[in-house]
Amino acid sequence: MTGGQLPQPPKRSGANDGWVAIGYLLSGILVWSGVGWLIDRWLHLQGIPIAIGAIIGAIGGIYLVMRRFSP
Amino acid sequence: MSKVASVLSLEDPPWPPSVDEFFPPGLFGVEWLTKFMLMVWLAIALIIIFFLVAYRNPKIVPGRMQWLAESIYGFTRDSIAKEVIGHEGVRFAPYLTTLLVFIAITNVFALIPLLQISPNSHIAFPVMLALITYILYLYWGVKAHGAWGYIKTSLFPPNVPWPMYVLLTPIEFVMVFLMRPFTLSLRLFANMFAGHMMLLVFTLGGFALLNAESLFIKPLSILSWGMTVLLTLFETLVALLQAYVFVLLTSSYLQSSLAEEH
Repeated sequence: MTGGQLPQPPKRSGANDGWVAIGYLLSGILVWSGVGWLIDRWLHLQGIPIAIGAIIGAIGGIYLVMRRFSP
Repeated sequence: MSKVASVLSLEDPPWPPSVDEFFPPGLFGVEWLTKFMLMVWLAIALIIIFFLVAYRNPKIVPGRMQWLAESIYGFTRDSIAKEVIGHEGVRFAPYLTTLLVFIAITNVFALIPLLQISPNSHIAFPVMLALITYILYLYWGVKAHGAWGYIKTSLFPPNVPWPMYVLLTPIEFVMVFLMRPFTLSLRLFANMFAGHMMLLVFTLGGFALLNAESLFIKPLSILSWGMTVLLTLFETLVALLQAYVFVLLTSSYLQSSLAEEH
């Protein structure tokens, strides 16, 4: 009933774009290094899961930013 | 500071300024009745009176007050609500206008003599405002797509191979449900907090320099007060800009709640 029936989607104002990009990158790294931290606490692997999680999260964050801003 | 100097100075300014500044005491022995509370009531009263008076006797050719009220509402409706949300946005224009005016007025309180602090520099007030926005866009998201549909549109980005969801969905969850209200309240709070702190540092710093023992340091207080004047102008800009940003982000979130996909 709402949304998609618009004849054309509203123009993106661009005011929020910077926050979206930073938010995706940061929350990607934070979420997955958090998961890595939990695994590290569980298995005591000297922080290696945190590093792997941060890299995976960065990949996810960059992917989401690219998906959002590519035309 | 030597004993002589502190006696000579007319009043000893509290230096350095501390966070206690943002926790004013309760008035008349009532703990919750603080300066902030009175200022919020004042802001609400001002908004109600202003819009009632402006529209009490509307004319086709508007008078000055009606013109001002119509410009504010028209700006929010056309430049924020319609521009960001689209045609659907008109229904949110009254809320967005109220939000804009309320935040702008409470922010500008930071610059009015005697008031001189914004309620928004206390985290509780921006948190409440962000919470209203949070509930609003969740409600409209669920209303537009249904509970499961809303979760699906906001957590599962389309056109993505499904194994990626394991990676992406937690990130989207944190973005939509945790980061948004958090950053929304924090941005307003931090701007107003820092603005008040800077004005305090340069105003009280001027007194501290004036009370210095060395004759060469005293003239520097002029510089410090000059900075106060400049920063006051800067704060005016920040106060209005932050009100605008808050409303713009609120409508941006509403737009992503209503849209089919984001």
